[in-house]
Amino acid sequence: MTATTLPEAALGVLPRADGSARYSHAGYTVTASVNGPIEAQRRDEHAYEAHIDVIVRPAAGVGGTRERHLESILQSSLAQIILVKNFPRSLIQIVLQVEDSPENDYVNTKLVQASLNFAIMPALMQTAVLALLSAAVPMRATATATAVAIMHQDGAKQTVVDPHPRDIEKAQSVHVLAFTSHDELLLAESEGDFTVKEWDNVYETARGICCRSPPQAKEGMAMLLDDESTGGPDMRQFLRSTMGFKVAADLHWK
Amino acid sequence: MSNDRLFVLPGETIDPSLIPSHPKNPLRLGPGLRHIPPSDIVPTVAGQLITNPVKNFMSIEYNSTHYIPSQGDIILAQILRSTTDFYLCSLAPYTAPATLPHLAFESATKKTRPILSPGQLVYARVSLANAHMDPELECVHASTGKADGLGPITGPGCVFDVSLGFARRLLMARAVEDGGVGVLDMLGGEEGGGLAFETAVGRNGRVWVGSDNPKTVVIVGRALQETDRSRLGMERQRRLVKKLVREMRWRD
Repeated sequence: MTATTLPEAALGVLPRADGSARYSHAGYTVTASVNGPIEAQRRDEHAYEAHIDVIVRPAAGVGGTRERHLESILQSSLAQIILVKNFPRSLIQIVLQVEDSPENDYVNTKLVQASLNFAIMPALMQTAVLALLSAAVPMRATATATAVAIMHQDGAKQTVVDPHPRDIEKAQSVHVLAFTSHDELLLAESEGDFTVKEWDNVYETARGICCRSPPQAKEGMAMLLDDESTGGPDMRQFLRSTMGFKVAADLHWK
Repeated sequence: MSNDRLFVLPGETIDPSLIPSHPKNPLRLGPGLRHIPPSDIVPTVAGQLITNPVKNFMSIEYNSTHYIPSQGDIILAQILRSTTDFYLCSLAPYTAPATLPHLAFESATKKTRPILSPGQLVYARVSLANAHMDPELECVHASTGKADGLGPITGPGCVFDVSLGFARRLLMARAVEDGGVGVLDMLGGEEGGGLAFETAVGRNGRVWVGSDNPKTVVIVGRALQETDRSRLGMERQRRLVKKLVREMRWRD
């Protein structure tokens, strides 16, 4: 079934990069480095905005079409939240190295290359955002992402948050959604058969995970109960506390 | 000085009650904030919100390693090459070079100007920083014509890289009280046995340490980097300085 572990993250793990993060959640571990804004190569140079270069490296072997596809999706999402207009003619390089995944990468998966690896997308997105924050790259907003699958179980349809690759194989449809911290939908990728109503359900579930309002509005006990009812981790709170620790450590002298 | 300290993430709304409102002075925004007309002030980086109602000023305090030039910063630049009218200098690795005009030195004329070779260091001020242009430097105060300590760096020494936040702390007028960095004072004072050295701190995260004794240069540089990376407090800085100086004495 789903991995119910809470997300974990460490910032600044690579000392020579401008910013870096290691993030693990739902069986995936991804390390990201961010460098920038640096001088762009002539062919990547854009007169009015920064070029965002996303590189995804798989846990085993070299990247192929699948990784290029992931890169293009991440690139267009991240370009929305980074203030690219602030740094014309420059480059912001984001390298995402997959370190660990629940599926066996050594098994030849070339046959299913055309399909998108949905389960890893939230981990990649989240790591990239954490690394960007750690590099202090100016951003419009932060982002949180999650994957949701719709499965047929015991004759009823079930929504599974952060599905395992094996669940994805059996799932009717899989969706990846990302939201900015302004509750705007940033990324929506879907695969499989689903109705509009099902998609609406998925949207609400993902929104509950990515865009939960800060807990201080509720009382302690109600919050605990609420956590159980919605299911899945509170990504926004996780991002905030991770960054809060980093900033507090950086400003220990204050 | 500043009263309210609040952790913010990019794009979070700042409570309007925290934004200082001075009846006369215009509001000044420091690094990490952007103004979206008409009246929104939004953080762009993760950090601590600093507000100063007296100066009507607000900014975000954060630490990073990649220098983005901004006007008025005092930086340590390295000459890359010379062209007919200016020197091209590097402020940070892999960024577009900054220009330093040949005549932007104290009492420089077309005939008498400092001849700098590639690799040499200059202590300069950023006179122009603009997203669409390469940054411009100067080693002279534009209105007074005085160098005020800026100019080419000569003498034996070495450059050490530190984080931008640490460089900022070193540049504070009262680095020991406000910035919590006492290593330099300690090394030159009682704990360090009065080592003789000089430093030039650039806002771009570079510190030049100069001394006739190479051992002193290495010790001062290492003490600075260690204080930065291990986030040492005052007491641990003192212990570090004592340890480094003791080690140096043993090897003599």
